[in-house]
Order: sequence, then C-alpha cells, then structure tokens
Amino acid sequence: MIRESQRFEPFTDEPISVIDEAGDWVAEFDLDLEPEQLQRFYRDMLRARIADDRFGRLQRQGRVSFVAPSAGHEAAQVGVAHAVQAGKDWLYPYYRDVGLCLAIGIPLVEIVGQNLATLADPARGRQMPYHAGSAKLNTFTMASPIASHIPPATGTAISQKIDGKGEVTICTFGDGATSEGDWHAGVNFAGAQGAPIVFVCENNGYAISVDLKRQTGSDTVHQKAHAYGMPGYYVDGMDVLAAYYVMKEVVARAREGVGPALVELVVYRYGGHSSADDDSRYRPREEVALWRGRDPLGRFRRFLEKRGLWDDAAEAAANAELEEEFTAAVKAAEEAGPIPLETMFEDVLAEMPERLRQQRDELLGRER
Amino acid sequence: MVQAVARTLDQEMARDKRVVVMGEDVGKRGGVFLATEKLFDKYGPDRVIDSPLSEAAIIGAALGMAVHGHRPVAEIQFADYVYPGFDQLVSQVAKLRYRSGGQFSAPMVVRMPTAGGVKGGHHHSQSPEAHFVHTAGLKVVVPSTPTDTQGLLRTAIRDDDPVVFMEPKRLYRSSKEQLPDDPDFMLPYGKAAVRQEGSDVVLISYGGSMAETLKASAAMTEQGISPHVLDLRSLAPWDETAVLEAVARVGRVVLVSEAPHTASFMSEVSATIAEQVLDALLAPVARVSGFDTPYPYSHDREYLPGPNRILRAVQRVLEY
Repeated sequence: MIRESQRFEPFTDEPISVIDEAGDWVAEFDLDLEPEQLQRFYRDMLRARIADDRFGRLQRQGRVSFVAPSAGHEAAQVGVAHAVQAGKDWLYPYYRDVGLCLAIGIPLVEIVGQNLATLADPARGRQMPYHAGSAKLNTFTMASPIASHIPPATGTAISQKIDGKGEVTICTFGDGATSEGDWHAGVNFAGAQGAPIVFVCENNGYAISVDLKRQTGSDTVHQKAHAYGMPGYYVDGMDVLAAYYVMKEVVARAREGVGPALVELVVYRYGGHSSADDDSRYRPREEVALWRGRDPLGRFRRFLEKRGLWDDAAEAAANAELEEEFTAAVKAAEEAGPIPLETMFEDVLAEMPERLRQQRDELLGRER
Repeated sequence: MVQAVARTLDQEMARDKRVVVMGEDVGKRGGVFLATEKLFDKYGPDRVIDSPLSEAAIIGAALGMAVHGHRPVAEIQFADYVYPGFDQLVSQVAKLRYRSGGQFSAPMVVRMPTAGGVKGGHHHSQSPEAHFVHTAGLKVVVPSTPTDTQGLLRTAIRDDDPVVFMEPKRLYRSSKEQLPDDPDFMLPYGKAAVRQEGSDVVLISYGGSMAETLKASAAMTEQGISPHVLDLRSLAPWDETAVLEAVARVGRVVLVSEAPHTASFMSEVSATIAEQVLDALLAPVARVSGFDTPYPYSHDREYLPGPNRILRAVQRVLEY
C-alpha cells in the first residue's frame, strides 16, 4: 500500500500521463487492472458522452431548461469515480459532473428525473437541471453558488477524521471556483486539520468566458496546494488511467490519515459553459478543434484496441445499448409524473411551520 | 447569561457525543466571552475545534459535519462578523433540506453574540436578525434571560434544523438568575413569555431591548399605567397567537427593538397586526427602534431605544 502510494510526485512541471496519444502505456509501473475494469472505464466514459449528447438534444427540444455540457471531461470524471469507494466515501461534486455521478452509481433515471423535474428526482424537482445529489451514495446535493460546497466538504472530512472509520471525502470544482473566498476558506481549514479530503479541480481553462490567465496569477491550479501545506498533483485529465491512478494514490493516503491533497485534472469542455452560452465569442474554433483531436474516449479506445479489448463491433453494441438505456430512462422519468404543487411547501424545515401551512392552503384554495 | 451558555454546552456535550463546538478561540481561550470555558480541557480538540479565522469555514464546515452525523454548535465571535459566512448560511445551510428534497438536513446551531451597548462601534454592535428571519429554512432565537438561554439553546442543539442563536452580549454579565437544575430543561420556539400582565398597552420586544422595555414598564407601573409585556424569545418561528391575542384585547401596542427601523423584524410584527387585528386597534402601532444609520460609536446610548423613548411612544398611543 505504501509503495503503491509513492508512484507519483507532486508539483511536476508537466501533467502526469500514463497513456500517450497513440494509446500506448508510458508509465514506469505495471498496469494492474483487469480487462473487465478497463472496459468498464471506457463504457462509463461512453455513457457520459451519450448522456451529454442526449441532454443537449432534450434542451434544444425544449424538454430540459438548461444543460452544462460535460463532453471533454469524461476521463477525469470516470477516473475519479473509480478511485473512490461508492457508498462509503463522500462526494461533493459540482454541476458539470454528470459523468462522475453516473459512474459512482447514481441511477440514470434519477439524473434524468432531476433534469426533467419529475417525481423520478429524489430531490423532488427543487432545483434547476444539473444539480444532482444522492444521500444513498453520500453525494452532497449540489448548489449553484460556485465553491460554496468547499467548506462543507472540509467539514465532512473533519467529521470523518473524528470518527476514524477510514472514510474519505472527494470534492470537485472547476478552475473558476479557485478564485472564490470559500475555496480558500475550505482548503485552508482542511490543511490545518489534516482532514482526509481530496480536492479535485477539473481545469478546463475557462470560467464561462474568462480564461485561466485572467482568473489567477498562478500558472497552474495545483501549485496553490503549496500555500495550504498539502501536495498538489498536475494530471492529464484527458487520460482516464492517469486520473484514476493519481486519485487512487491520494485517496489511499488520505484514508491512511496522511492528510489532504489537491489534484488538478487538465481537461477541456467541447461545448459552451451552458446551453445559454455562446463560446464562439471568446474561444477560437481552432482551439476547440485542437482539443477535440485529443479526445479522451479516442485515446483510451486506441489503448484498449491495442490490447484486443475493444473493436468496432464492441463500440456499436455499447452505443446501441447505452442509447437505448437513455431512451428508457427518459420514458421512466416522464412516467414518474410531475411534481405535485403542494410539495412546494415541504422540506423547508423538518416540520411545516404554521405560517407555511397557511400559505399552502391559500395557494391550493385559489387553485380550486 | 454567558454561564448559561457554557453550562448548557457542557451538559449537551456530556449527554451526546455527536455534539461538537467549533469557532475562533473556542478552545484553550474558552471563547472571547468565555461561552466555551473549560470545554476544551474536558472534551479535547476533536470536540472543541479551534477554527481558522474564517466565518465561511466555520459555518460551512459545521454543515459538512452535521450532514455526516455530528451536531455542531458553531460560534461566530460577533454577529457583525457573520457576513463572510452569510453565503454559507443562506445558500448552503438554509436550503439543504429543501434543495435535496429532504435527503439531507442540517442539525446545527450557529451562536453569535449580537446587539449593542458595549461601546463596540458598528462592527461589534449590530442586530442582523432580520436577514436570517427573511431566509426560509432557518430558525432564529434571541433569548433575554439566562433561564431562557439554557432552555432554548438545549432545544436548538437537539433540533434537526439549523438554528441561528443570537445572544445579546450586553446581557452576558448583567443578567443573573438561578438556573434550572434539570439537564433536560427545554423551552419551545414560538412561545412568547409574558413578563408582565397588563391591560392599558402591549409592549413587545426581544433580546437586548427587553432590559430597557422592562425599565420602561416599571416606570409606567409607578405612573399607574398597566403594561402587558411580551418577550418574543424566538423570531422564526414567532408567537403570532400571543401577540394578536394581546393586541386584540388591549388595542394599543408599542414594538421595541434596537435593530434599524426600516424592514426590521418589528416591521413584520407591525404588518401582521395590521393584517389580522386592525379593527381592534385604538391607536396606530408604534415602533421604537434603532435608527437607519450604521450603529454609531459615540452616541450609542441615544441610538438604543431607552426607557424614555419607549415611554414617549407609550404616551403617543395612550393619548391618540
């Protein structure tokens, strides 16, 4: 465990990769994943890509009000998901983490239900799309204010440290989040407490339109870890196995009580910030094309094909199956039905206050 | 009053291992007002956590501990310093149960010394309770006596919802009484205390301003006026029933609070009276408030609603 935990150096000059663009293994240690696990990683990435495409289409059809495109983030999110113990560890994701939420096991129908605001949403349609959460999977329900989940994530890690049961918290965010005061408040507290938490930046280079150069004077995100007394790892987030292995190492160390870490996964979002964004105003098309050429699915597929673990037939079969899964999830989420009006007044507090009861009755009375 | 806080925290920490205390200087120092005195020696650094100097970290981390099974009692050193943690309270804490559809809840208390009268200028004297009352998903408590502090703080710690617990700091040392021995002594929210029974005018206040309200009511009694005095004790929820019953019966009411006048909690009480029992009023509702200035350093005696200002308002509603 300890030897394995020393594979990677923090604060490298270049992002850590274990697979190159050609799909060849370039790490100095031996691959130790079973074929089924490798295929599972790829399938989870494909599933995230298909979900992103299908939610985009639902948005253009007017059936979903908002999407936060995640294409380009799949390797990072799937790598993170497979490095944690789902149901034991705690996750504090951010809105672009559809691939992460799916890969840790949140049912697709719940994600679709959240985006369509039907009763298939365990949160009962309380938030705009792309704000999932799951108490069953220890996945903290997202909130829109950027970086506001960082201090709560640190609190959960402090609680885990006190309990001493070997749990770890994973907290993800974009590059823009690192400018918020709450980000520094939460990361600093985690460092001071030596809390078992891994902060993960999915650095896609843009906070809506503002690029990293205008976001911070730091050349990178991971270097900020220096200031908080924790290691910072610079990782190629388009390489699913680099994300997985680095995360596995820092999660294991946090689990052993060594303390927190910051991991920067360098990714790129192919789409705009959201369905309300026009990224052609601020990003040259050549830049988008360049990054699309480094596609994480393509790279990992080449890796699998060289090992005889994937081919055109497998791709076609997986595509058909996952498209069908999504279609079925939309049907199931829609059939679950709309959110009843009276539930609008529930879950404000454990018990409904009298004044809220009066407001509910007034509204429902007027409806009649 | 401050001993009531320390004693209740001690009793609840002894009773329930999930209860932890967190904040700036709450450890070895025992809190700048000594509200957490001796807890660090008794319960150690895992349960009495000296936080960094960051209100966002304190409130946010308390939430993260609460969802993971602890029952944090976070201290904000002065209510005036809650603002860096305001987004945590409003966006994260208050909305967690709602936005998760009841999957997650936030059983936590955020304590903060509040209000003026200690020559602290505007950054050690404000009364920001209206912000919290305006935010769905929070309970807001402002006690004025040691016994109420004990009973209401215990209720807050055992509550499954987040509670903002505001302690009027000028009463920390001045307000003394024998505390109940019962380690399970609890008081419910939304129940006003009748501090004096009367029939000529209803005086309604809470927190720090209760001291001046009671001085005014004593002076009125001497003058042969019979005031009915209510201490609201909690603002979210607040005791509409007691207020409306008293105002309907007496017909004259003066609302006293040192918070700035405009859009204060007493604005809500006044509006509710107008909405519900207008016909019973024999005079317009009168409010005695702080002014719509930042809390002043040099003239805080004049800024706070003192007995004379309260008595003048009483005269106005009696003579109307």
